[in-house]
Order: sequence, then structure tokens, then C-alpha cells
Amino acid sequence: MNLDYNEEQNMLREQIQKFCESEYDFYKREEVIKSDNHFDTDVWKLFADQGWLSMPFSEESGGLGFGPIELSILFEEFGKALVIEPYLATIVLSGTLLDKSSYSQKVDLIDKLSSGSMHISLGYAEVDKGYDYLSPSTSIDSNNILNGTKTLVLNGSNAEKLIITCMKDNDFKLIILNTDLDGVSVNSFLTVDGQSCSEISFENVQIDDSNVIASGSEAKKLLNETINLATLCISAEAVGCMESCYFKTLEYTKGREQFGQPISNFQVLQHRMVDMYIESELAKSLLIKAMLEVKNNSDQMYKHVSALKSYIGKSGKLSAKEAVQLHGGMGVSEEMMIGHYLKKMISIDALFGNADFHLKKFAS
Amino acid sequence: MDINFSKEDIAFREEVRHWLANDYPKHVKEKTDNGIALTKQDMIDFHKAISKKGWMGYNWPVEYGGTGWSSTQLYIFNKEFGLAGCPPLLAFGVSMVAPVIWTFGNDEQKQRFLPDILEFNTWWCQGYSEPGSGSDLASLKTKAVREGDHYIVNGSKTWTTLAQNADWIFCLVRTDNSGIKQEGISFLLIDMKTPGIEVKPIITIDGEHEVNSVFFTDVKVPIENLVGEEGKGWTYAKFLLAHERFGIAGLGASLRSLNRLKDIISKLNNPDLERKVNELEVSLSAIEITELRLLSALENGGHPGAESSILKIKGTEMQQNLSELFVEAAGEYALMYPGPHGYGSNDKPSGPEYAAEGLSGFLNLRKTSIYGGSNEIQKNILAKFVLGV
Repeated sequence: MNLDYNEEQNMLREQIQKFCESEYDFYKREEVIKSDNHFDTDVWKLFADQGWLSMPFSEESGGLGFGPIELSILFEEFGKALVIEPYLATIVLSGTLLDKSSYSQKVDLIDKLSSGSMHISLGYAEVDKGYDYLSPSTSIDSNNILNGTKTLVLNGSNAEKLIITCMKDNDFKLIILNTDLDGVSVNSFLTVDGQSCSEISFENVQIDDSNVIASGSEAKKLLNETINLATLCISAEAVGCMESCYFKTLEYTKGREQFGQPISNFQVLQHRMVDMYIESELAKSLLIKAMLEVKNNSDQMYKHVSALKSYIGKSGKLSAKEAVQLHGGMGVSEEMMIGHYLKKMISIDALFGNADFHLKKFAS
Repeated sequence: MDINFSKEDIAFREEVRHWLANDYPKHVKEKTDNGIALTKQDMIDFHKAISKKGWMGYNWPVEYGGTGWSSTQLYIFNKEFGLAGCPPLLAFGVSMVAPVIWTFGNDEQKQRFLPDILEFNTWWCQGYSEPGSGSDLASLKTKAVREGDHYIVNGSKTWTTLAQNADWIFCLVRTDNSGIKQEGISFLLIDMKTPGIEVKPIITIDGEHEVNSVFFTDVKVPIENLVGEEGKGWTYAKFLLAHERFGIAGLGASLRSLNRLKDIISKLNNPDLERKVNELEVSLSAIEITELRLLSALENGGHPGAESSILKIKGTEMQQNLSELFVEAAGEYALMYPGPHGYGSNDKPSGPEYAAEGLSGFLNLRKTSIYGGSNEIQKNILAKFVLGV
């Protein structure tokens, strides 16, 4: 047994930390959110140059062949700095799905994703379906005409292509299509945590068999595994957020003087920060278990990702709320970073099944 | 990164399981499986059986007759014993006073005390807390005054676990009042048969006699029973507490409770309770992996320090929360607990078999967040040594 990260993994973490510290402070993030694309093309290029965009892809597809441990490291660090770039949408949700599929064009597409020259988004959610992603109303008729609407398509406004779930004759399918086809309309908006997100409608869109990535049980497995990996990633992001909430609150209370002393002297605040520290460590433990199960592709991987997601959904929000409270008025100021962790935790809990959903899934 | 035990550790786990299946004394197992309190003789039989296997010195170096186990083996041993429902091993002799004796005691003391601890010929108890000294242990007042070849001890100790069964007590006593309170404390070994010692039961809210007050009136203790140097007792006491920390999460026993609880609840059709159990299962998994992380750090040359306070806090909260769900599962039958002395010792009131046991456990386990450095003290430790405030 050895639960330490290896040297290569520690170096990766340091590299990402260095980037976040020198190139991605809170003001930079605010600019990115307000920009037209809602991501930074220079930063994206830098991600490509560092090899981060090709990190999780298999070597056969031209990737670095890294797994869930390295992805978790990346997302933990992204969580700490509240990085807003569309890594989840483009690389994890779309890229790893393509990589694992047997789609004929995948190597070419993954190459474009890796170089940063293309964005693809995944449309997996629909209004009124809750967290059930396997019974979409979007459908293809016998003439290969697609109709339906996808919601919460992350980074949809920047996507050249979409991968969506749909039904054809009671058969579940994953298809890929261009966003500039006739009949595709994209309505974009910002999420609570500043990501770009779209509702995308398909009205009598003509497709053909070359659009199909996978069908039936193969398609379901592909989607389930992809969502599971994405759930692990955002949970790692939450773990990073929790560590920052604890650490930034500690630093703040050490520097904030009231009644003639730093407020970190007060035991009532100390114990609350200890609780934040403990929650952050326990969440890290569940992350380690979950990422190792996913890495080993074990039978238990869904269960342990659910354990992690349900835990961080609850304790992550708790940590962020405590961080806001202990920062006093600063905690509720839009121009301060700390309150944005709370928005991030709301967003993470809501994505891919909230704490209640995953607690049930864990137990089933 | 690898979360699996080595082949050797898995073989060791099999050996422990084999012993538990075959050599764990049957009469003890039958009682603990049915929630019946153990007698003094049961406890002696249990410990002697472990001693016979050569496992009594589970955290001792080989040099003194111990097993020389790695931290991982010790973890496995603790966890498997807990999972099998064994009573907690009495720590006072083997894992509290013994390390102090072999580290700070002289050769004569080692020869005189260690073999008997290893064979469980002597039952030790711990004389730390006093009526006026709880979390602020260093404020203790029990006084030892040197007179010729003896110390004359006067004062009282409290919350002394199973002192009614004990042959010996290790005590923190004050030998000097002149400096700061941590100085002037000495570490004395006292024979419980010495004239002037009186043990009075304290009955806890579960109705059990587990702890006691121990009074010392002009008790003559030979000076050869002083461990180490006079006035250095506080250092030894802190050293001892560090030895106490590991395995304090009570992981194996909590896993066993969780499994029993799941079994009970599967027959109740109570979604509210199911949800609470599921939440505890996730938290228990988090505690288990946190313990493995500390273990891994130890095995790979690290020195986890204050972090182990997390295990004390979360492990004891877990024990309490699990026990509370047994009470909730009993529904209205939670009323049916007159205490262990309210009905014939082996008779059970009507209602589910786990009702009385659940109540007993719930009330008894209140102690866990209070003893071993209360959970609030643990948070102070984390605040000081991890948060740096």
C-alpha cells in the first residue's frame, strides 16, 4: 500500500499550480467570464502546449494516456483557482467519450481537441428528465430527421460539433453533428459559477448513419462511463475548493483584527476552521478511493464515485458557507474571491446528480 | 498509488481471521455476540488466549517479547478484532504503561513488570484524571512526598476504568509544587493491594460499573516504583498518549455495527433511517481511507502527528452516531431499558433483541468523545499544530 502521489504526479500538480498562480488570478478569471467566448483562447493554447489537453486520451489516439489520478490532480488545482476554462466540456465529456468509442473519425477529432483548435460539447441532459440521462425525448425518425432540445450543454456556444443522446426506434444512440447544420439553434447563457452553457434545439435536422458514434448498450455504457469520469473530475474540483475555503479563511482570520487581536485567536472560530480542515481531509480520502476504483475500472467504481459526490455535495457547500460566514461582509462581496467558491459548490452539487441522488445511487 | 495490502499483509490477515474463527474463546464470543456483559474472568480468559498465541505484545518491539509488527499489521489486527466483535483489548498494561517502562524504566523494572503484562498476569489501570483535573490534566494535585525509601501518596483519582479488577495502577503524582504546573509531576507504579487505597464505584448513565474513584490515604510506595526521573512524569505522560492514538478510530467495531444496523434496517421499511445509515456508511468509508492515508505515510517514512486527532474526533462521533441509530431502529422499544441491573442479568425485555443493547451502547459510548483527550481538546490540538493559530 502506498497512497502517496508519485514524482511525476507531484510535478504535474506543481506545474498546474504555477500556471494558476502566475497566469490565472481572480481578476483574470473575471475578465474571462465577461469576454465574448467565456474562455481565453491564449490560455487554451497554453493548455495545449503544456500537453494538458491531450492528457487523458489514449496513446492510440495520440494522447498522453494519463488516467483519473492525473485528471483529479488537474481538477483539484482548477478548483483552488476557480479556473473557468471549458476543460470539462471539451476534453472530459466530449473527448474521453470519443476516445473510448469506436467512432471512425475519432483520431482526427481528438487531434483537433488536443491542439486546442476545436471545441465539442456533449448534450446529455433534457428538461424534465432530472438526472435520468438514458431516456431522452430527442429522437430520430425513420427518415433520419432529428428533433428535440438539449439543455445545460456546457460550452455549447463555442462548440463546432455536438455529441448528443437520442432515441431511434427505442434504441438509445450517441450521435455527433455540426452545430452549423440547418435546424440547429443555440441559446446561450451563463451559469451561477460563470460557465457558458446552452440550450440547443434541433428542428428537423437531417442526419445520416455517419453521424452515429454508438448505439444500444454500447452507447449507454459509453455515456455512463463518461459521466462517471466527469463526476469524479468535478468532485476533485470540489475537493480543491474545500481546501482553498479552509486555507483562505484561515489566512483571512489571522490577518483580520477586531477587539485588538486577530480574530483567529477566538476558539469558536478556531474550532469551526478545524471542522473545515477535517471535512477537506475526509473528502480527499474519498477522492483517493474513487479515483483508484475508476483507474482500475472496477465493479465498484460507480459506487465509490457516488460516495464521493454525495459527500462533497454536502460538506463542500458546508465549507463554502462557513468560509463566507467567517469572512464577514467580505464573504458576500462579489469582488472578493471567497464567495465565488460557494457559487462553484452550488454548481458542482447540481451537476450530474446532487448529494441526495448520489447517496441513493451509492446505496443501491 | 496503490491502496491494496501486500501479499504478506493479506496472509497475515488470514492468520488473524483463522485465530478469530478457531481460537477466540467460545464462551466470550457467545456473550459478546449476544450483548451480554463480560465478567472479569471472561476478560482474563480472552487476553490469556491472545497471549498464548504470542500476540499480546502487539505494539511491542521483538526485544521485549513483542510481535514487532508493522503499523499495517497492527491496523489489520485491530480492524479484524473489531469486525469479529471482540471486546476492546485492555490498553492500560500492554499499550500504555509498558512503552513507558521499556523506554524510561530501568532494567529491574523491565524484568519485574513486562513479562507479567505480556502474559496478562497483572491487570493495570490508569491513574491520570482527578476530580479537579480533567482536560487540564497537568493541574493534578495527588501528592507524593518522599520519606526515606518511600513516597507517601495522598489524593484521589477518578474515572479509573476497571480499577475494581486491577492489580496495579500507574499514576501521575505531584512531587514538586514550586515550578510551572507541568513540572513537578512524577510517574509512579502502585500496587493496588497497598494499605490506604480505596476504590469506590462510579455508576455511569448506562447503569454499568466501569469506572471508579480511587482514594489514596498515606499510601506507602517504594521509591523503586518511580519510573524514570522524578519531575519528568509529564513528558512520559505525553509520550504515552502518543502511543494511545493509533487505532482509536475503532474502525473494525464501527464496520461491524454498520453491518448489523443495515441488516436490522433492511427489515424495517423505514426510508428515513435508511438514509441516515447510508450517510454514515459514506462517512465511515472516508474515515477508513483517512486512516489508511496516515498508515501509508507511516509506512513510507512520514511522521503523521496531529493529523491523527482527526481519527479520534470522527471515529468517536461515528461510534456514537451508529449507536444512536440502533436506538432509533428500536422505535418505541427504546423505552425498555431499565439498565443492566433492572432485570435478571441474562433476561431480556420484550421487543427486538437489539433494543436494550442499542440503548446500552448509546449511553455507554457517550464517553468516547470525552475520554482520551476530549474532542474539543483534539480540536485545540489541530488548531495549534495544523492551523497554527
